[in-house]
Amino acid sequence: MVTKRIFVISSLLSLYTFTYTLGAENIAIKAGNILPIKGSAIEHGTILIKDGKIEALGRDVVIPSDTRIIDAKDKFVMPGLIDAQSRLYVIESELNERGAISPELNILDALDPFIKEHQEVLAQGVTTIYVTPGSNSLLGGRGAVLKLNGSKTADKMVLKADVAIKGVIGISSNNQSSSLARLEHYASIREALIATQAYMQTKRKYEQALSEYKKKKAENGEQKKDYKQEKAKKEKPKRPAKPKQNPIYEILAKVLRKEIPLQIEAHRVDDILNALRLADEFDFTLILDKCTEGYMIADEIDRRKIPVIVGPVSTSFVDMPKLEYRNHDMRNAAILSKKGVKLALGVSGRDGGSSKFISLAAAMAVANGLDKDVALRAITLTPAEILGVASRIGSLESGKDADIIILSGHPLDTFIQVEMVLIEGETVYERKASQ
Amino acid sequence: MKQRIVLIMILCQILLCHGLWAADKTKSLAIRAGKIWTITNGVITNGVVIIQNGKIETVGKDLHIPESIKTLEMPDKNIIPGLIDAHCHMGLSLDIFNEIEETVSPITPDMQILDAFNPLAEDLTKALRSGVTTILLAPGYKNPIAGQTAVVKLYGAKTDDRVLKHSAGIKFSLGNESLMSDRRPTSRSGLIALIREELNKVQDSGKNKLNPSSQILKRVVKGELPVFLYCNTVDEIVASIQIVEEYELKATLVSAREGDEVANMIAERNIPVIYMPSLLLSRDKDLKRSGKIAGAGIKVAFASFAPKTNLSDLRTSAIIAARYGLSHELALKSLTINAAEILGIAEQVGSIEQGKDADLVILNGDPLELTSIIEMVIINGNIVYQREEK
Repeated sequence: MVTKRIFVISSLLSLYTFTYTLGAENIAIKAGNILPIKGSAIEHGTILIKDGKIEALGRDVVIPSDTRIIDAKDKFVMPGLIDAQSRLYVIESELNERGAISPELNILDALDPFIKEHQEVLAQGVTTIYVTPGSNSLLGGRGAVLKLNGSKTADKMVLKADVAIKGVIGISSNNQSSSLARLEHYASIREALIATQAYMQTKRKYEQALSEYKKKKAENGEQKKDYKQEKAKKEKPKRPAKPKQNPIYEILAKVLRKEIPLQIEAHRVDDILNALRLADEFDFTLILDKCTEGYMIADEIDRRKIPVIVGPVSTSFVDMPKLEYRNHDMRNAAILSKKGVKLALGVSGRDGGSSKFISLAAAMAVANGLDKDVALRAITLTPAEILGVASRIGSLESGKDADIIILSGHPLDTFIQVEMVLIEGETVYERKASQ
Repeated sequence: MKQRIVLIMILCQILLCHGLWAADKTKSLAIRAGKIWTITNGVITNGVVIIQNGKIETVGKDLHIPESIKTLEMPDKNIIPGLIDAHCHMGLSLDIFNEIEETVSPITPDMQILDAFNPLAEDLTKALRSGVTTILLAPGYKNPIAGQTAVVKLYGAKTDDRVLKHSAGIKFSLGNESLMSDRRPTSRSGLIALIREELNKVQDSGKNKLNPSSQILKRVVKGELPVFLYCNTVDEIVASIQIVEEYELKATLVSAREGDEVANMIAERNIPVIYMPSLLLSRDKDLKRSGKIAGAGIKVAFASFAPKTNLSDLRTSAIIAARYGLSHELALKSLTINAAEILGIAEQVGSIEQGKDADLVILNGDPLELTSIIEMVIINGNIVYQREEK
């Protein structure tokens, strides 16, 4: 009995030390087919991982002696997938400050890291998601890019916070068309941006006045030493009144200074054009979201080089399609892409678990005319670029995070399996033989 | 260069027009394709389908094609029968659920969904482009006895040519949707009681004169008119089966989300299932259910419930079900012959067989690969959709 217990404890201990060393260990994946996304495919190549980063990849990578080798000789290896329209970890009804201008809100304050669906999404090769506030607020708050690393706190999942401010133009929340509401959307966002300009100017004036005050005060200090000019004391400079801090305008000022993009969800042509008009007038970085009727005005979008997150590919992914989807066309992504628009795909699903369909959504876009390579890029590198995280993820390149998936076949084939998922070199999912 | 493009475009147009013209006028066409998925008779590689007067004249491997017949050469294409959407609400107006829900009275067997159908509705062409050639139009979800379904093709020379069956059966809704706060039924048991009440009435009627509604229900209890029972959870499914047993109805379950939990019960009674769209589900456990139901020997078809889901996604439903465990053979059958048998139209459509309607879908790849593109759709021998390269 005692020996048994000792045996169990010692084996547990050795298991612990084993897994512990695994994490720090170097890993080499010997792959049949590497799809690095950036650059052309590599047949029979090796990916070397060190400290959670990709150290090297190619056909003739030298594998150091103390390296654990993952055999993927008959497999496809590519970067982890990204769903740029996810709602994993968040509950839709909890996301909407209805009709409000509330860009100061942060999606990170509403995350529930314990939502179970995350394991099923991970098992389909999704390693990163982008979540934003909902669609009922005009300016709903800041979105964040999260890794599905299984952390129990939001801040450990975050790859990037304050990715963009989520805005909306032209959503009929009750499935009733109301052109007045549309006018109001555009005008209210514009009003908020104009108010921000005024706020920024007031602040600039204050800072100017403050620096003048400080200069004068310093001068006075010097003069003080001069006993002959005691009268100068009476001209003591007045400290300017500090303007009230306003969190709304503070964050919108970042948009106007191009420090944070404004992501505008728009479906109908007129709404998309309104979003483009706003970007023209205020010169901020615009990301178009959903862009349902974008295919009708692809030229306008392309001319301004505005990136688009297209989704849902099919209205089947959303609950009872609203009026905005009336002219939804599954060829949207294909047409936009052919015009030269930079696009990412999103699932835009009805719940958090829907993010698992991202590769299926890409395949559906391909069936409707999207180029296969563009489709793969649209669920890896392009969203990483649009969301400003391409230095870390989105492609297999040395120096990037080792967020890697191993597949039994080409990622757009329907009947392949995700065999293994690594996030920063850690195996976070491995398919069991029975699955 | 520009001239050449214009020339090619003109040529293409001539070819296209000629193709459509040839099909419409002479009503004969031959297609030689890489793979013909007959569904009922295996896959023919490098086979030929010959169409005469809108019907399939012959299908086989080494067929002689008479010189008078125009032949489409498609050596790298796949042909499957036209797909059948076994339960949907297409061709109605945009605000669809206001048009198909008759919410004043809970019992409306005399209501015909065909009366609200617009055969020229724009959404029908979207379904056509995705390979759907035949649909079952159904009334809504809010009435326990909701009304009459109809089977319609998505193309016909005249709009009234399109209807295959004016009354294909009565839809019953045992789902939560039919419970309301301001009229009967307000509870689940009240719902079942109400259905029993109505069926008892006509059963006990003897030789009394019946109103039109009751006449229809009389045909239901006689087993002449089939019923489509919409149900989702185990309790709804069990209650449906109970009613089917009590009144010896000719029945099909519709949606049946948790059907796998009581698969034996359904299989023993030979009740077919028209399963809900896969994309309405997202949990792995749910996505595996349709495969388990079909695996238990139950005849399964799929439905889009459009516009609840995109009407182009019928094939997607079967593909996702196949990805989560449904066999490939059954997935294809569910979209074609199984649906035809369940709807009672298998003599006309559902497979590529001699004598059946020439409803064909041509794809550039395996019909169960999501990335495969639908190149051409043929109904009754007419090319009704042809993909253009943009």
